Amino acid sequence: MFVTYGVRRSALAAVAAVGMMVLTSAPAVAQQPADPNPGALTLTGSIDFLNQYMFRGIRQNSSGIAAWPAMDLGISAYSGDGGLKSVGINIGTWNSLHTGDTGQDGPSGKLWYESDFYATLGLGFGGGTSFSTTYTAYTSPNNGFTTVKEIMFKFAMDDSSKLGKAAIKPYIAIAREFDTDVARGQADGGENAGTYLEIGFAPGYAGSKASIGFPIKIGLSAGDYYELDGEDNKFGYFSIAGIVTVPLGGTTSFGAWNIHGGVEYQKLGTTTEFFNGGESNQVIGSFGIGFSY
Amino acid sequence: MPLRRQIRYVIALVVVAAVWAGVEVSPASAQAAPSDPNPGNLTITGGLDVANAYLFRGIPQDDTGVVMWPFGDLGIALHSGDGAIKSLAVNVGLWNSLHTGAAGSDGPSGKLWYESDFYATLGFGFGGGTSVGVTYTAYTSPNGSFNTVREVSFKVAFDDSRPLGRLASKPYVIVARELEGQADGGAAEGTYLELGAAPGFPVGGLMVTVPLRAGLSLGDYYEGVAGDERFGFFSAAGILTVPLSSGPTRVGSWNIHGGVEYVRLGDRNADILGDTSKVIGSIGIGLSY
Repeated sequence: MFVTYGVRRSALAAVAAVGMMVLTSAPAVAQQPADPNPGALTLTGSIDFLNQYMFRGIRQNSSGIAAWPAMDLGISAYSGDGGLKSVGINIGTWNSLHTGDTGQDGPSGKLWYESDFYATLGLGFGGGTSFSTTYTAYTSPNNGFTTVKEIMFKFAMDDSSKLGKAAIKPYIAIAREFDTDVARGQADGGENAGTYLEIGFAPGYAGSKASIGFPIKIGLSAGDYYELDGEDNKFGYFSIAGIVTVPLGGTTSFGAWNIHGGVEYQKLGTTTEFFNGGESNQVIGSFGIGFSY
Repeated sequence: MPLRRQIRYVIALVVVAAVWAGVEVSPASAQAAPSDPNPGNLTITGGLDVANAYLFRGIPQDDTGVVMWPFGDLGIALHSGDGAIKSLAVNVGLWNSLHTGAAGSDGPSGKLWYESDFYATLGFGFGGGTSVGVTYTAYTSPNGSFNTVREVSFKVAFDDSRPLGRLASKPYVIVARELEGQADGGAAEGTYLELGAAPGFPVGGLMVTVPLRAGLSLGDYYEGVAGDERFGFFSAAGILTVPLSSGPTRVGSWNIHGGVEYVRLGDRNADILGDTSKVIGSIGIGLSY
């Protein structure tokens, strides 16, 4: 699902960060190649800790902490100078571990609330435009929900080359649930398979010691995505966040590591407000560590 | 599982292999492939195997449909040197078992994902090809077929390729202790002993390996109606590995592999299976980068 960085102090995250600082001073790292991985595969991973997990505005836990370990393998299958600039394949797993009511403290007694598998085919075109198709299976190892299968199409534009620091990197994504039944295989647990529409922007500024991003997005139902009492409510949520990312040194033979944190504010619609216990506003803080290799 | 569906899975696997062969000759790969696309300290391995049955250390899990094992491993080389400790590495990874039969999508849960294991290994390499590894593993069942089993295992291996060349047998010993949960669903956590060897030899551009394993209970690992049984299983396999390129490419080193394993079971495991032996066939695709 969609990672939203935020600020939250976490002993485990701090330990992980300190551990990696130790690693980066180990003898093996002293031999630093300029690029440790010039090949066509890229591995990225992260773990984030949050006070609240909202999936497209739909609350997933009411208590405890959520931890999101994630791993992605990117495959650069093609790059060229024609109309099609690049073809990439990404496969990965994204997980949500909950200490609270939908995890360890819940009826199952199991931490592992969600495990998603996804595969993306991404096409890069001229002018910074890209189009991607993603299949995702959202599963719940602790049976917190029934498996949701979805196909998503995303069109994005990186306007950095035209606008420089004023770039807003707009995108639009549309996702369709399939293989559903009443109250099964749907994010809203509703009657019909839903279609989700997201419009977003990701402006940001990169400095020498840190970067900051301000992702803004709005989630809408393009059909049965936010069902409540038989009625589909179009507006799902609006989100704005501030994310600070601090590199942990440069690129080493272990890749490039960072710590990041931020705060996200969500304004919820009728259905998502109901799922959030009648509260129409939600603030999410998160903190995490990530790497790219 | 109808034969037609099984055939479709195998065809899909072949298509994946063909796609990868295609990727290797794509323009991106054609650009002067570096001799080592990944000289850094992280190593990625992964693969997908398809089999007709799954026995975990001789304990029958499922033989009613197609079993698929997608897995991925991240290796981190922390140290290499000429001292007593030649190498130090950490591996973390996931291993999964997806079942179309009675333990998976055709079973009570209706869910394919029978098993998901997370593991972390700290490995030490010493002189003379000797290595020691300590592994923590959490065996979980996303479709709720079994309770989570947590285990710590110790492995001592000896790579005798240097002194013996093609006659190397690469012997190893594994001792595993269950910390919580039990593979046999018995009364007490068990301790497992595995003695194995993995001789292999190249044939042309191919690789043939003949892994041999014996699984024993050092205490409560194979509990049955007659108590704990010492002998769990013996296994002998033949595996053929075919590289999909003559050397590393920009997308790593890929291979397809397949083989047949014969498993002879102890009485306790044979009672569960309903037979004293099992032949397991498998085919898969693998990656090292």
